[in-house]
Amino acid sequence: MALHAEPDLDGAGPPPAIRAHALVKSFGTLRAVDDVTFDLAPGRIYGLLGPNGSGKTTLIRLLTGLTVPTAGWAEVLGTRMPSRPNLGRIGYMTQTDGVYTALTVAENLRFFGAVYGVDGGEPVEHALGIVDLADRRSSIVGTLSGGQRRRLSLACALIHRPPVLFLDEPTVGVDPLLRVQFWAHFRALTDAGTTIVVSSHVMDEADRCDELLFVRSGTIIARGTGQEIRVQAGTADLEQAFLRLGGNVEVTR
Amino acid sequence: MSRRRIVALFRRVVSEIRRDRPSLALLFIAPIVITGLVTFILRESQAPQVTAVVVNLAGPRGLAVGNALEAALRTDGATVSDVADEAAARAAIGDKAASVGIVLRPAAASGGSLDVTVITNGLDPSGDVGQVSAIQRSVLAAATAATGTAIPAVNHATVYGTPTDDPVTTFAPAIVAFFAYFFVYILTGVSFLRERTGGTLERLMATPVTRGEVVLGYTLGFGLFATIQVAVLLLWALGSLHVGALGPLPAFSIGLGIAASGSPILAFLVVVLLAVGAVSLGIFLSTFARTELQIIQFIPIVLAPQFLLSGVLFPVSSLPSILQPLVAIMPLNYAVDGLRQVFIRGADLGVPALQLDLAVLGIVAAFFATIAALTIRRDVV
Repeated sequence: MALHAEPDLDGAGPPPAIRAHALVKSFGTLRAVDDVTFDLAPGRIYGLLGPNGSGKTTLIRLLTGLTVPTAGWAEVLGTRMPSRPNLGRIGYMTQTDGVYTALTVAENLRFFGAVYGVDGGEPVEHALGIVDLADRRSSIVGTLSGGQRRRLSLACALIHRPPVLFLDEPTVGVDPLLRVQFWAHFRALTDAGTTIVVSSHVMDEADRCDELLFVRSGTIIARGTGQEIRVQAGTADLEQAFLRLGGNVEVTR
Repeated sequence: MSRRRIVALFRRVVSEIRRDRPSLALLFIAPIVITGLVTFILRESQAPQVTAVVVNLAGPRGLAVGNALEAALRTDGATVSDVADEAAARAAIGDKAASVGIVLRPAAASGGSLDVTVITNGLDPSGDVGQVSAIQRSVLAAATAATGTAIPAVNHATVYGTPTDDPVTTFAPAIVAFFAYFFVYILTGVSFLRERTGGTLERLMATPVTRGEVVLGYTLGFGLFATIQVAVLLLWALGSLHVGALGPLPAFSIGLGIAASGSPILAFLVVVLLAVGAVSLGIFLSTFARTELQIIQFIPIVLAPQFLLSGVLFPVSSLPSILQPLVAIMPLNYAVDGLRQVFIRGADLGVPALQLDLAVLGIVAAFFATIAALTIRRDVV
């Protein structure tokens, strides 16, 4: 069983958008990320799936350079992380909303736009349209519902139209209808060349990803399309597949 | 450093505070109310009300002195009566029938002089001091009357400023400096802690913003409000706007009208430098806090020693020598001294003492800004 299936590069395809090589992050004796290696091709949606505490967020923080690896390295768009200038080409939607509750929706977007170097009303209007918050632009964020804040959080990550997007559990608290819209928009972005890494612990979104990476105890225990993983695990259910593959690794260790 | 990003941070901080009414009240109304109250207390404190009971245990000599003393006390506005012995005097004070007891005894040493023992309640030491000095004044007055020769008066002159009866003059600079420091620290500390715990700092650190830009943006944002606060407070402290009687309202004046001889602009510079240091201190200390309560818990550790060791309450010169090295490292001390140099001495930039104060405040601000920038990103899970 190939745990770290490499995409077919053969020198012909485009260079990977995101690379991780032997990435390790230790907190004391805990190895939150334990020897992770992968290449992610541009223009695809990658699903980072795993239970809470499996190391998904730490992995994203390593890829965005928010934390320094104990060993190994990460690269985004050919630049070794951490790299502050490179962050201008990355969008990051954090697990917490990470928006200013005392400001209005539009003020939040203008602020993050200015920080990323995009000014003016057009990017704000564009981002508002994507998350369907145009009619709440003047609302103080503190008065919004949880789902609306989540949408604003996504809009803040998109404001500078980054070619690489990390979304840490983006659809938590978002209603089903809007969830469909979110995924339609993610797809439109990848069609235009954006690379998206989405972390989730809900399996029902997994089939919308081009490829899945199953994370457990800081390692990638399986990688492939939803269909490939079902076949590999011999089950029709991704949740079952995750449990089986996870168990498998425990036994063979 | 990107000017655009710093301006964005500055505008964001300003928008946040502008909407935060309780914080605005804390910044502008609280200092005015408290300085007004302190000034009122210091200026309008009542003269001690003396109700004396006199015990004469020294025979006819004591009687003569006692009568002279009682006459002087009555002239001074005191109520005086005689009691038989010390126990009766103590009982009267205990019952609050009298505020002070005066016991006249033959002196232990020969020569026929008298000992005067003043008995006070003892529960209120500073009130007791007022009682004792009132008696001392009357003893002097009685002696003057008895000998017919005036005891020479002691006159007070000062090198800087003029000796003044207004106790607020030296107190006001200290209060202005302390408030600027205190409120800017609290607001920045809490605000930056929210940035850490609310996830916005994490997000901000995932943008091209540098730590130096964050510290600078915060310093400019909170610096603006500190500047306005200090301007308002200085206007309030130094100004005195007389409002004439209007209908049923009697005439009154707005502002404390504290006399100051130096340039308000220089005073302003001193406080702004102090406030800039307080912004960075707030950012730095928020590193060690997990909750807003912990920001408050730093007050006794960080601010209270500065309050005690910077001449706000106790004169620096009277502090024990073992504490003097600590005084030398308190930023607030330099601001208080700087403001007194400006207010009382009328110092300009050519005065070395003021130069030292400004230099130290500048260095402290730069030092805390640097360590604040270095500690902004704490590697958490």
